[in-house]
Amino acid sequence: MTARTLGLGHAGSVVSAICGRGMRRIGARPTLIMPVLLMPLIFVISFTGAFGSLTRVEGYGTDNVFNWMAVYAALQGAVFAGVGGASATADDLENGFFDRLLLTPGSRVPILVGTVAYSALRSMIPTTGVLFVSALGGLSLAGGPLALLTVYVATCGMAAVFCLVGLTVVYRFRTMRSMILVQVFGFSSMFLSTGQVPIHFLNGWLHAVARVNPITNVLRFARQGFLGDITWSLTWPGLVALGGMGLVSGALSLRQLKRLAA
Amino acid sequence: MRLDSPTGLRLASAQTLALTRRSVVSEWRQLGNVLPGLVFPLLLAAVYTHQFERVILLPGFPAVDSFLDFVLPASLLQSVSFGATEAGTELARDIENGFFDRLRASPCARLPLLMGRLGGAMAVAAAKGVLIVMVFLMFGAEIAGGPAATVVVVAAAVLIVLAIGGLGQVLAILTGNQEAVNATFPLVFTSIFMSSAFFPTTLMSGWFRQVAEANPVTWIIDPVRRLILEGWSWSDVGQALGVPLVLSVITVTMAVVALDRRLGAT
Amino acid sequence: MSGSDKLTSTGANIVIEASGLVRKFGEIVAVDGIDLSVARGEVFGFLGPNGAGKSTTVRMLTTLLRPTGGSARIDGLDVVEFAPAVRRIIGVALQDASIDPLMTGNELMRLQAVLHGIPRSEAKRRCPELLARVGLTGAADRRVATYSGGMRRRLDLAISLVHEPSILFLDEPSAGLDPTSRLALWEEVRRLNRELGTTVFLTTQYLEEADELAARIAIIDHGCLVREGSPEDLKATVGSPTLRVDIDPVFFEATRQVLTGFGPQRPAMEGRVAVGLEGGAARVTEVVRALDDAGISVSHLELDAPSLDDVFAEATGRRLEGAEE
Repeated sequence: MTARTLGLGHAGSVVSAICGRGMRRIGARPTLIMPVLLMPLIFVISFTGAFGSLTRVEGYGTDNVFNWMAVYAALQGAVFAGVGGASATADDLENGFFDRLLLTPGSRVPILVGTVAYSALRSMIPTTGVLFVSALGGLSLAGGPLALLTVYVATCGMAAVFCLVGLTVVYRFRTMRSMILVQVFGFSSMFLSTGQVPIHFLNGWLHAVARVNPITNVLRFARQGFLGDITWSLTWPGLVALGGMGLVSGALSLRQLKRLAA
Repeated sequence: MRLDSPTGLRLASAQTLALTRRSVVSEWRQLGNVLPGLVFPLLLAAVYTHQFERVILLPGFPAVDSFLDFVLPASLLQSVSFGATEAGTELARDIENGFFDRLRASPCARLPLLMGRLGGAMAVAAAKGVLIVMVFLMFGAEIAGGPAATVVVVAAAVLIVLAIGGLGQVLAILTGNQEAVNATFPLVFTSIFMSSAFFPTTLMSGWFRQVAEANPVTWIIDPVRRLILEGWSWSDVGQALGVPLVLSVITVTMAVVALDRRLGAT
Repeated sequence: MSGSDKLTSTGANIVIEASGLVRKFGEIVAVDGIDLSVARGEVFGFLGPNGAGKSTTVRMLTTLLRPTGGSARIDGLDVVEFAPAVRRIIGVALQDASIDPLMTGNELMRLQAVLHGIPRSEAKRRCPELLARVGLTGAADRRVATYSGGMRRRLDLAISLVHEPSILFLDEPSAGLDPTSRLALWEEVRRLNRELGTTVFLTTQYLEEADELAARIAIIDHGCLVREGSPEDLKATVGSPTLRVDIDPVFFEATRQVLTGFGPQRPAMEGRVAVGLEGGAARVTEVVRALDDAGISVSHLELDAPSLDDVFAEATGRRLEGAEE
């Protein structure tokens, strides 16, 4: 066998093969997607239903609670879906399939990238579900169709980030159980932000935490099109926040991936 | 099972106690499983208290100094609902691994097996309930009904676990499948959100309000909340304990009947 | 086949080489300084009981686990420094047929081909060919979850051959297989070795398997190599055949005393005494007479030519699990 160099083209096909495998698994067993789809749907229905009267509080900023909650439920769902993508790797590690992937010649990075791509792609299913239910509830597209694009960008980004966080932990601890911790971390990070009410509603330590929580910028970016026009001043901080979280979690997961053989 | 002799009753109690202890010990050894049920509701309560400060001023919202007082029953209920189906999943595991077939072949007492599991879940729920209430009191929550009301509030939570656990056991016996039993958790989780737990039903509207008002969780939460916000009242005590008690009697009876059928079947 | 044979520190044609290989997990030493060398085209059997360190050794040789001491080279390439290059020339079928149950046999083969950078056209030709060879053509488009244990093993083998490796690692290939599937798998391994010259490194806890397939074997126990050589040579070191006598437990001591006169005692199951019978079959009548004189009633008596089990017992002082069946 000749010492073929495996270049970028190879990396690309590995990424798409890993990603395709994940999607094919959903095709093989559609119930795999159910928790990921149902969770944000329950959230959007429960929160709009229970907290519908928030719109009557002065300064809430919208007269339909769906305009505020839809993005929150979608992002919470994306976080859940992202960690779920990492759980698939935990499953592979526990049943030994991951050894097969690790025996790949060349870089192992495409395996990581493929898993993240799968998580991001898969998160579009719950996002679409949430947007559909919210549309029934009277979601307004104040910022035009571009408003939908910002939601998908934000949810795919969050799914990718939390998949990377999950992979960091999976590569380190190699168990499905450790994923519960990551889910708790994901949920908490979302809660400690402006998911349900505007930032000026928050007080005390919660206000301080939400101010520095990068997710606050992501929520603002994804939500702007439902509250008003889409502006660059609300867009770039969201993209920077996503990029920053991606870089940090990406670096951490790559470090653990490198250590996996030790 | 026949409990017609005093020795039979004593044996059954001893078995129940032993099985209860076993459940509690196994919970204790997997402390990681208990943690989400404490951390998540407390986090939610902390966040809601700080984000809904303006909201409690809305006309129609009960008179409270802080959302913390208002959310206590919800956090308590949410906390004990984690792991409430455990009594069912453990039973399903016994059925899955064939332990039940052995039971069918023996004259061994059957009710203790159900009650032991339920007793374990209730003991854990009581511990979690006390802990949650203590944390709330530490952060300045007030219980207007005093210590007696506090006991009633925790007891209501424990009875709810009995009702949910019974339901889990019915499913376990009918399906013999752990996953099917686990599927009741999202149901319980959702029914807490779709009740008066986090917001008064008077401030809701449309079909959601109708669902919330018809939800048994609301029937339990409301009297418990009045005990905390307004003070002691015998009618509230009756409702707070009566509703979950009736539900428990229903689900546990169903479990016993289902078990008899299953063990009687050839 | 791989390119020119590389010269290694220990000489030509050595394709698997370990020196002083150590793996610790915390305080536990799983592999304790192993030296190995396997020549090109050889079938090498790595024999030992459960937990002896077989799988840990294989995981180190196949780059899945980093050694904590010593070094290993595959085809002259260090397994740590040149891990990606090593992975290109080896095929690995791991212990628990590590395959995703939700995918079909065909999908898994294609995935493996992509992972190894095999052009699509070539994969299209090779995958059906390999599936046919392991007898899975009919099941290729079924999900692996529906496969039997034997089918999974065969698929696992086919997957590990997609990139035409020159060195094949098989970790307990026949564990959990029924006798027919086991024979079929053995035949396939022999064919790979014979027709393509594939070097095979095989771990097993079945003496029969090692005896059947391997030209050379090493015995590992508690992380150390205790014997190494061809099955014939190893058996010859045991020397005399083993005489086994089944007796009522009350006669145990008496029997042992009588038999000590005929040769060194060997490990045996309960209710049985075994010795290496010096002088061989000719002395069996003598033994029977001696036992009879001592008033010992024997329920069963047998004389076996030395087996790998004897080699193992002689090396470790224990019998291998299931070896007496």
